[in-house]
Amino acid sequence: MSVLSTGRHQSVSLRFALYALMLLLALVFVFPFLFMLTASFRTNEQIFAHSGSIGAFVPTGELTTANYAYVLGNGNILHFFLNSVIITTLTVGLGLIVNSLAAFSLARLQWRGREAVASLLVVLLVIPFEAISVPLMLLVAHLPGLGFEAGRLVLTRSWLNTLYVQILPFVANAFSIYLFYQFFRSIPKDFDEAAYIDGATPLQVYRHVIVPSSKPVFATVSILQGLAMWNQYLWPVITVPGESARPLMVGMQQFFGHTTEWGNVMAYATIITVPVLAAFVIFQRWFVRSVIGSGVKG
Amino acid sequence: MTQSRKRAYGRRIALLSSGPALFGLTLFLIIPFLLAFALTFTDQRLVATDSGRFVGWRNYERLLSISYVVQDPQPGVQGKPAFARVRDVTRADPVHRGFRPFSDFSWGQKRVTILAKDPVFLESLLNTFGFALMVVPLQCAMALALALLVNAGLRGQTFLRAVYFSPVVMSMVVVSIVWTFLFDRDLGSINKLLSLLSLGTIGPVNWLGGRATAMPAIALMSAWQGAGFQMLIFLAGLQGISQELYDAARIDGATAWQRFWNVTIPGLRQTIAFVLVVTAIAALGLFTQVDVMTQGGPQNGTSTVMFHAIQRGVREENIAYGSTVAVVYFAIITLLILAQQALQRRWSK
Amino acid sequence: MPASLELRDIHKEYGGRQIIKGVSLTVAPSEFLVLVGPSGCGKSTLLRMIAGLEEISSGDLLFDGERVNDWDPARRRIGMVFQSYALYPHMTVAENVGFSLKLAKMPRAERQQRVDDALRTLQLEELHDNKPSQLSGGQRQRVAIGRAIVRNPNAFLFDEPLSNLDASLRIQMRMEISRLHQRLRNTVVYVTHDQVEAMTLADRIVVLEGGVIRQIGAPLDLYERPANRFVAGFIGTPTMAFLQVARCEETSGRLAVKLVGQDEHTPLLELDTVASATRGEGPVTLGIRPEHCRLTAPDGAMLAGTVAMVERLGADTFAFLDLPGAEDTVAVRLGEDASRIAVGDRVGLQFDAEKAHLFDAGGIAVRSPAR
Repeated sequence: MSVLSTGRHQSVSLRFALYALMLLLALVFVFPFLFMLTASFRTNEQIFAHSGSIGAFVPTGELTTANYAYVLGNGNILHFFLNSVIITTLTVGLGLIVNSLAAFSLARLQWRGREAVASLLVVLLVIPFEAISVPLMLLVAHLPGLGFEAGRLVLTRSWLNTLYVQILPFVANAFSIYLFYQFFRSIPKDFDEAAYIDGATPLQVYRHVIVPSSKPVFATVSILQGLAMWNQYLWPVITVPGESARPLMVGMQQFFGHTTEWGNVMAYATIITVPVLAAFVIFQRWFVRSVIGSGVKG
Repeated sequence: MTQSRKRAYGRRIALLSSGPALFGLTLFLIIPFLLAFALTFTDQRLVATDSGRFVGWRNYERLLSISYVVQDPQPGVQGKPAFARVRDVTRADPVHRGFRPFSDFSWGQKRVTILAKDPVFLESLLNTFGFALMVVPLQCAMALALALLVNAGLRGQTFLRAVYFSPVVMSMVVVSIVWTFLFDRDLGSINKLLSLLSLGTIGPVNWLGGRATAMPAIALMSAWQGAGFQMLIFLAGLQGISQELYDAARIDGATAWQRFWNVTIPGLRQTIAFVLVVTAIAALGLFTQVDVMTQGGPQNGTSTVMFHAIQRGVREENIAYGSTVAVVYFAIITLLILAQQALQRRWSK
Repeated sequence: MPASLELRDIHKEYGGRQIIKGVSLTVAPSEFLVLVGPSGCGKSTLLRMIAGLEEISSGDLLFDGERVNDWDPARRRIGMVFQSYALYPHMTVAENVGFSLKLAKMPRAERQQRVDDALRTLQLEELHDNKPSQLSGGQRQRVAIGRAIVRNPNAFLFDEPLSNLDASLRIQMRMEISRLHQRLRNTVVYVTHDQVEAMTLADRIVVLEGGVIRQIGAPLDLYERPANRFVAGFIGTPTMAFLQVARCEETSGRLAVKLVGQDEHTPLLELDTVASATRGEGPVTLGIRPEHCRLTAPDGAMLAGTVAMVERLGADTFAFLDLPGAEDTVAVRLGEDASRIAVGDRVGLQFDAEKAHLFDAGGIAVRSPAR
């Protein structure tokens, strides 16, 4: 209910105008999707032929799945896809454990320096990743790591061109800790105390009391981190020049830079987008909550 | 267990549970952040082994030095004023060593040329601010309008809320690529639509190829992609305004417009401040769109601070200089946040 | 087995501030002890120290003669019912009740047996698989008690358990708790700010104020023979009236007082106390309960005043008088004459001197009515 609503007194004409506006805007928001999807089933000639009409967004005329066949059959899209899945799931999974444990410690346990760490955390929130990407790159370029060479595990002198360079720096996340911290603090202390009286250890309190009561914030962090990792571009562009550990987004950009076949490009884009869109459609309610949750306190 | 042993045990648990995160944050956030400042005083490169020497303020000097030359016209051909080449002037004057022309304008008969040691940075800085000035109002106004619309109590608003939000979950790389086609001069749907609506009077615009249009085009696309996010935050803010305030305003005889200005906007003040700052910070970090769509072109017309930092720091492997750009970027963000907090404090009084 | 509890000179400090200033008391096995006092008196802190949720700054806490200061809450094996109940929202009723047994690694079959027994005791069998959010306030309360009784604890601790319930439910739960205690005979320490709860439940009441014990005793003892003005004013509704004494005289070994507001002609009020008891600085006060007062015509009464308010509660009617020399309005329980009294009436107050309490300048009771 808000200003646009006059409740029961909403006039028919206002109502009609609002509906028209909503639908028009909805079109503005979906037309690039529709274009992407439609063009992915067309040849270059068909795309160009339809570009000036409503047909650009509606699958009419000659349609083909050749673009998908080409994209899947040539290049390494499946390999990149797998890389992105590994990077996203590992970062989110490890991040949930590491960050929620840290927040638990900050919000629920008594130890010296706790307040100092909590306020440091708020300061860290302000540092945008972009500002540290260049020195961080220098750092990881000189960290000792592990790699495969001719099928054997060897010690390497750099993290560049690996999967873990895209995972490990993002596991610990100040914003995730902050979200967990805020949520945990809102859980009544009585729960912990009841559990301590019932004979629980701190880690049992975390596992049996805090975690089960915090599903919303776990969902929020998973979604925000998952989206950020899946769509990440700047970091892999600078740290993963090679192909073996390349994620989808960089693969897409490279593919885009070396082809003039728009149908192929749109098929590639569709393959990247569909998993995320599917997740969004299924978990829509949680997406909405996580965004709102991310902005409540700032 | 004694009290002291209990405390030792508690400390161990605390360390165990917060340790991994604190280690990660230290290694991958705090150290690089401090490193960024330290590197700006060196000539560190990515691979060269004999780099990393202390060079004082040289990076900052190169980044931020600005100067100008004023030239009197010389009698030229056909009565038109002519000027000596700027490069010849700066070469002759040791004060201007290392400077390159950034832009020029006439002042009466004279020609003034602005010089900078890194004119591309200066241009990137202006581009970045220009982008932020376009995208922040556009995106926030769009987001607020969408939030009001979706909050109006109409049927189907949950579905439409999802539609408006959907670009947010799309990757910026994908969005950029799709819009590159939509912005195409000859084939793009946007030009076709404009031509249709204007009955052919608006000719094909080379959106991404023109210096004047490339940044606005990117701003438009960015606002489209991101507005759904702020819409949800506004929506949460709207739902936090008590319905009773609207009822009271209606009983007092306020029109919808008056209710908007006297109930909605004051009620959203904190939210608006938050959304503006968050959007501005994101806008000042513009990189992906530019990297995918224009690579900073045409003629550096869409180069941004972050793009410049990556270009210099990573692609030219001049880590020290890239860090200097990043530190300047961080300083701008910090000023922005401090300004916001000062405003917030004044408001809350 | 119900345990005995002993507190020896317990102190609690928070950042230099004394919250509990030396509390000593013993709780006998199977005793129902109620800690009562105004908010901020330290009663919850004391309870949490017994539970092991707060450290004891100094003093000794003993369970069955064994010092437990350094034991963690689990080892003390107490059951606690929180004000918010603190039922884990993600667990069913049975899981909530059985959580402590699960943590203690009790075998599943035995655990289920114990949980079922506890639920049966509390008539919660049908709610076995419900989540707390599906329960009413009274049911949640009972689950919280079930969680406490399932481990067969040394002692039960209740922290204002009824304050989240509405009035009628509160009375019902009060009876249930009382009945449960009669059946299980556990040692109970029960914290409340509600003196009616304290009166109805307790074997003994401990009245706390400002971190010190003001009196310990059986409910009726506290009511009839309050040790000081604080307890006298805290126990009983409407509260005891306090009338200022203008003058004390000794006549033939007995004490006679004149109240503020009494004129020359009113005879002195004779009390069976020796005069020496009232020595000390400051005014002496006389206390009298509402049920020991009656209204008369203003002329010739002990004191005269006006009716400020009349409260008709159904069974009882109380008049509140503005009187000279009274610190607050004076409550009087009305009898047959209830319907005739109206606000603004000029009335006289009469009471039996035998029923009067007398407090010295320090607020200590120097006379209480005989039994």
